[in-house]
Amino acid sequence: MAAASKTSAGLFSTGHTVLRLVAGLAAIAVAWQASVLLFGIRPYYLPKLSVVLDAIASTPAAYAASVARTAAETLLGYVTGAAFGVLLGSVFFHHKVLKDTLFPMFVVSQTIPVIAFGAVVVLWFGNTLFAKAVMAFYLTFFPVTVNTLLGLQSVDPAQEALMKSFGAPHRQLFWKLQFPNALPQIFVALRLATSLSLVGAMVGEWFGDTTGLGVLLLQATYNENVVGIWAALLVASALGTLFYASVAGIERKVVFWRAEQ
Amino acid sequence: MKRRTIATRTIVPSREVQRGIIGGLMLLGGWEAATRLLELPTYVLPPVSGIVQAIVERRAALAAAAGYTGGEALAGYLIGCTIGIGVAVLLALFPWPRRGFVSVATAINSVPVVGYAPLLLLWFGTGIESKIAAVAFAVSFVVFISTLAGLDRVDRRAVDLMRSFGAGKLAILWRLRLPTALPLIAAGMRVSTVRSIIIAIVVEMLGAYGGLGWVIYQAVMQIDFVQVWAAIFVASAISLVFFNLIGLAEWKLVFWR
Repeated sequence: MAAASKTSAGLFSTGHTVLRLVAGLAAIAVAWQASVLLFGIRPYYLPKLSVVLDAIASTPAAYAASVARTAAETLLGYVTGAAFGVLLGSVFFHHKVLKDTLFPMFVVSQTIPVIAFGAVVVLWFGNTLFAKAVMAFYLTFFPVTVNTLLGLQSVDPAQEALMKSFGAPHRQLFWKLQFPNALPQIFVALRLATSLSLVGAMVGEWFGDTTGLGVLLLQATYNENVVGIWAALLVASALGTLFYASVAGIERKVVFWRAEQ
Repeated sequence: MKRRTIATRTIVPSREVQRGIIGGLMLLGGWEAATRLLELPTYVLPPVSGIVQAIVERRAALAAAAGYTGGEALAGYLIGCTIGIGVAVLLALFPWPRRGFVSVATAINSVPVVGYAPLLLLWFGTGIESKIAAVAFAVSFVVFISTLAGLDRVDRRAVDLMRSFGAGKLAILWRLRLPTALPLIAAGMRVSTVRSIIIAIVVEMLGAYGGLGWVIYQAVMQIDFVQVWAAIFVASAISLVFFNLIGLAEWKLVFWR
């Protein structure tokens, strides 16, 4: 809940950004509709935006329920994955033996196509919200771990030496210097992980479920319903963009001294 | 702290590798022991020995599938790298449409692969074309972004120096900017290797006539989880081989780093 309130504060305090976003979206919408009309693109390749929006508007309840479900799965996996990633990165930073022993395996684990893993995860955790959150978790934690480790390692040794010479204990060294120094790097991964966690949740839904954006996408694919595919894509990218913007907003608040935009 | 990093760099590499190997063995051993001691049914988690045995038994079929997927991934990878580097170089030579182009590309890329995979299947059919297109698309973006970042990293003073000796735009690009960008281009290409295999498999699972993704999909349908794990192991192995091949090429090519 705290995260949600922070999100809205970060997003809406900067009205300028929102305005620019809306303008950008409007431009894309106009370009989409106009190009279909002007170039006579067949609906099989790209249906008119108005047709896609009509499809969403005709069954709003289905889309709303799907968005709510997918968003819940994504958020649960993302938050736990981010927390685990930061924790793991910090632990690896402090215990080199542990890092050398475990890190190669995490690297190898990332070569497993998540979609193949999906069937097994759904089998393990049942067809629940939790199973999809696990998929989002799996895709989120790795980039966060890597960037946390890189960020912690990139601390200026001179600053470290200075703090040590004043007798700063390890704990203080970490919280006052190393961790704040790593935050910009961590946030790069956190922004990247927003779309990854959404992918994880949607793929998780492919292995049998009834609600969710992944389900809508899969059903539309099987029915060769191009308008349905675009509608699901549109809603998914809206959710993804909102998620990304929220994290970027939090980033600007937290890493106010150096947000890598 | 500084002394420690220097020490680790000179002495420890072999010890790091040793630890990695120990970690891998511990994982495989723990996996094997857990499945045997807890008597887990194979659909929950098959033992490693069972998976390896399945790979050996079905090696012909798995090798064919791996070749199919690897071919798709490689073709898409080469096309994607060419497009990514090509477009980035063009934008470096003619920078005026750059801002708009980058933001449009970023927006398109923010749509997950799993999202547009169904469309690619409809447009390019169930054959290998749709997989190659998906891989090329994803790879070209990553390579494009890293090439652009690399080309930007050039030292202004070096450009000025070359210009003062009468070097043209193309000469500066070829002799200065591209070599400067090479480490970042190579990094982008290395990251893309694993991604290309994964994307080929993802699209295959949605519809294909062959390949590892197709094998996995069939196995899931038949609830043959040993086969799923066997295909996952093979996929992971070819990803690692691909990654290391490009890493090796990078090491040879970007010898100064």
